Amino acid sequence: MRVVTATTPARGWQSIESLGQTAIRLLRGVLEELDFLAVVLMSSGSMSRGEWPFLVRHAWQQIYFTAVRQAVLLAVVGLILGVLTAFPLIVFRIEDPHLLGRITNIMMYHQFSPILATLFVAGLSGAAITAELGELRANQAIDHLAAMGVNPYSFFVLPRLIGMVLSLPILVLWLNVGVTIGAAAMLNLYQQVPLTVFFRVCLAGLSRGSLALTGAMVVMQAIHVILVQTSSAFRVGAYVDIPRTLPGAFARSFVGCLVIALLFSLVRYG
Amino acid sequence: MAEVALRARGWVLDRRPAPKPFDFQVMPSELWMLVGAVDSGRRELIHSLAGLVEPQAGRLELFGHDVAQLGSRARAELHRQIGVVLEQPGLVPAWSVFENLALLVRYHRLVPGDAVEDYVVEFVESCRLPRALLTRLASDLSLLESQWIGLLRALVIRPRLLLVSTYLPQETLVAGYGVWTFFAEVVEPMGMAILVDAGPQALPIGAETRLLVMDEGTLLAAGQAAELAQHPDATVRRHVRLHHA
Repeated sequence: MRVVTATTPARGWQSIESLGQTAIRLLRGVLEELDFLAVVLMSSGSMSRGEWPFLVRHAWQQIYFTAVRQAVLLAVVGLILGVLTAFPLIVFRIEDPHLLGRITNIMMYHQFSPILATLFVAGLSGAAITAELGELRANQAIDHLAAMGVNPYSFFVLPRLIGMVLSLPILVLWLNVGVTIGAAAMLNLYQQVPLTVFFRVCLAGLSRGSLALTGAMVVMQAIHVILVQTSSAFRVGAYVDIPRTLPGAFARSFVGCLVIALLFSLVRYG
Repeated sequence: MAEVALRARGWVLDRRPAPKPFDFQVMPSELWMLVGAVDSGRRELIHSLAGLVEPQAGRLELFGHDVAQLGSRARAELHRQIGVVLEQPGLVPAWSVFENLALLVRYHRLVPGDAVEDYVVEFVESCRLPRALLTRLASDLSLLESQWIGLLRALVIRPRLLLVSTYLPQETLVAGYGVWTFFAEVVEPMGMAILVDAGPQALPIGAETRLLVMDEGTLLAAGQAAELAQHPDATVRRHVRLHHA
């Protein structure tokens, strides 16, 4: 009995302590990410003239691989998601076009489409970036170039950051186009909601304010994904670290994007 | 009097326990070879001079400028005059050999944009390496080829200081054209200062070869091999003898 009374408060303190340590770790992670972002942004201020063509070329490559090559895939995924989204509405016999448009806006445009797009981006482009830069770290290419006057942050990170910031909104757009067409087709088929009416009510829900908020959220998510993936790659010491780094970087970037979506939803609806 | 290419003062490598501080300098056109046992600090010295790791203490002057006093842009200006060859070739695997060699030329705008290709091709040919290498992907190269391209990338910017922290490629890509011939015919005429940790068999050590003898993270002695062979410290003599052999 004495043992129980002695250990219960101790366990309580241990729980509080571990909770505090978790909070400190999270806070430290956020601070490290902001620090990394500051270094990347500051590096853009000291870019040489010779670096600009590389910046444009690499940013365009990032846009091509992320937004252009994945466009069809994302549109198809959006189409399927639109169909899936329409089924519960059909089951609950929600026929009011305005309500249907509002549900699509809030559920898909504001929340799930950006989250799904970041999931794709973190899994496809993000993992590719971590693997590529991780290899350049492991084979000392980054060290070589840094020692010979190349700024690794403006050369390797900044173009990918710009590319991703421009690509993610495009991907969200593709996804939303697919979702809208998929949902419209299903609602038209089962509930005879005219396609044009559905498209109109969906578009009517897109105010400047909501677009700005969604745009800001997507940009923050893109920045977060790139910072997590590139900073993880920069910590790679040897080739064996690359496969170890990939899952952690993916999980961190995706969870961070969820938290960003949560915070923006609180701002929007809270 | 010529400007010193590299001068380190009170240099303490980052290891525990802290090694003794040491000073040394390298003048233009001088070739210094780092010798010492495994883990004697040769690699850390090259890495710290290249700015890849911070020393515990010390001041570094490059081409007459105190590096600590410079901003990031001015420091980058200095580093573009340094060629570095580390332990691994460090090429971008997805790029062709030409792109790897042209990267620094374009980045530092050494020649006008439309002259980069000619510049790189001429440089490779002047190094007597096969031109066909240029179109190959870096990931398709053998280790030996990668080592040579890594060395060429450091030289293509025509640096004022060359830091080499690896065993130089022992075999050649062209018959009868070894690394020492390459150094004598291509590198030395460039007039750069060279600090090389080339291992015991890479470059021959003659009586006049300048040596930096490292041990336990500090510099034991610096001078010509003939002088160091008479050094009172047995460790110094051992390394000089070893390399003579």
